[in-house]
Amino acid sequence: MAGAGGFVEADNAEAIIARIETKSSKIESLLKQYKPVEALKTALEGSPPKTLDERCKSANWIVVHRALMAIKDIEGMLNALDVEYYDILMKYLYRGLSTGDRPTCDQCLKIHEKLTDRAGLGCILRCLTDTINTV
Amino acid sequence: LAQKTNNISLWIHVSDLIGVSPISLATIIHSTDLFSERKVELKKDHSWQWWMFTESITCHAWSPDLSMVALCPNNNEVHIYKSSQDQWERLHVLEKHDQIVSGIDWSSKSNKIVTVSHDRNSYVWSLEGGEWVPTLVILRLNRAALCVQWSPKENKFAVGSGAKTVCICYYEQENNWWVSKLIRKRHESSVTSVAWHPNNILLATTSTDGKCRVFSTFIKGVDTKDPKAGSPAESKFGEQQILQLDLSYSWTFGVKWSPSGNTLAYVGHSSMIYFVDDVGPSPLAQSVAFRDLPLRDVLFISEKMVIGVGYDSNPMVFAADDTGIWSFIRYIGEKKAESSGASYSSQFSEAFTKFYGQSKATTANEASESSKSRGGVHDNCINAIVSLSKAGSPKVMRFSTSGLDGKIAIWDLENMEEELGHQF
Repeated sequence: MAGAGGFVEADNAEAIIARIETKSSKIESLLKQYKPVEALKTALEGSPPKTLDERCKSANWIVVHRALMAIKDIEGMLNALDVEYYDILMKYLYRGLSTGDRPTCDQCLKIHEKLTDRAGLGCILRCLTDTINTV
Repeated sequence: LAQKTNNISLWIHVSDLIGVSPISLATIIHSTDLFSERKVELKKDHSWQWWMFTESITCHAWSPDLSMVALCPNNNEVHIYKSSQDQWERLHVLEKHDQIVSGIDWSSKSNKIVTVSHDRNSYVWSLEGGEWVPTLVILRLNRAALCVQWSPKENKFAVGSGAKTVCICYYEQENNWWVSKLIRKRHESSVTSVAWHPNNILLATTSTDGKCRVFSTFIKGVDTKDPKAGSPAESKFGEQQILQLDLSYSWTFGVKWSPSGNTLAYVGHSSMIYFVDDVGPSPLAQSVAFRDLPLRDVLFISEKMVIGVGYDSNPMVFAADDTGIWSFIRYIGEKKAESSGASYSSQFSEAFTKFYGQSKATTANEASESSKSRGGVHDNCINAIVSLSKAGSPKVMRFSTSGLDGKIAIWDLENMEEELGHQF
């Protein structure tokens, strides 16, 4: 790992946004098929953590948000999600909580409680201390 | 009355009457010269004993024969206690520093104590005629000193500081004083912890810039060159040996070498612990994330087993399996919760229910209280773990921990060999 370097430049950001858009259409179709868990997995995969570009992060957030709000069975979703995605999901949960929007916060809080039970306080610590890979 | 008679059963009775836990009662009433000593032996197969010395302990170190302990009670003094028949008697108070003593180390062969403090100074104390006599070491620092460790041969010691430097101090016979040589390069922030490799030349450091670095501290006239050709020890002083390890994004603490010097372990503030095997030109690094609060310090109890201590107040055991993959194994005291511990947590959740009148709240609370009822020896963050076995031995059978709760606990692994498994 090369430390703080390696951030993507502006032109590459366009490529990332294009990728996110294709991801978003995939997620829409998954949601139509009532597969919200799959949708969330796709949304979390390939989250661009190393970009400084706010647009990429926001674009990915919109996609993740869409999938998050569609989840009804939280336990089942967490069962199906791999352990490596816990940290990223926690970061997005905090992003959701920071929006202050009532339905988003309700949903995020519910998922947060279950995720903390599973992943422990260490997961939250990793979100707080990681100032480089932000979402 | 309970305090004056130092009677344990009376103490517990009084605290029951008032309705607080015995430990909080001790902290409320306790004064600094009359320390309360409680030897509590819990289950027979998990042998640990602890003593509460003071309100809070910053750091501690043991004498060569393990009969005396030097500790800093979170002020500018160093207290030395001697144990005799399960009682601790305060023998000496070393008062020379102006600010908090952040590091103490006691050399086992030369019987010298080195102390470093936030007042940017360091003293080397020698026992002369029953009294500890200090010798000032001019570190040439413009910020606090944070940690100190004697080298394996005890001819040098390393001091990490907030001035982004590491001081390597050695004794100059001609002038009869300790000279400090600084490693000024490379660190971008405070150096939180230092650890000597068994070869007496390599030094590993961790820093609040998130990186762990290994340096050569070869000093002409003090160190002898290794006759093996191409040995890494022949590098210049202060030059980095290994590519610095940027595994962490957050502050790093508590670096230690394994008994052979082949593996390095250090912790990050993001609840992660990092292991680096085959430290050399092509190291094998692993990051292990764990569930609970971050660690502050680690200790290798064997080549493949590490104990970590930190904010969770309970030592954690990590081990490498046969393929070399490190992972979290268990908490050291993990068994059925002590009855007192369980009642504490249920009392808490009962109170919680009365307050909020919901049954949902209790389940969440019980889950978070479970870490407290897990055989709790320490009630607050453990910030230091020190080996009680001979320096350089391949296995550590006993170690001690000290923390912000003012307790020192000694853990005995004699009876735990089977439970710990073949890696121990």
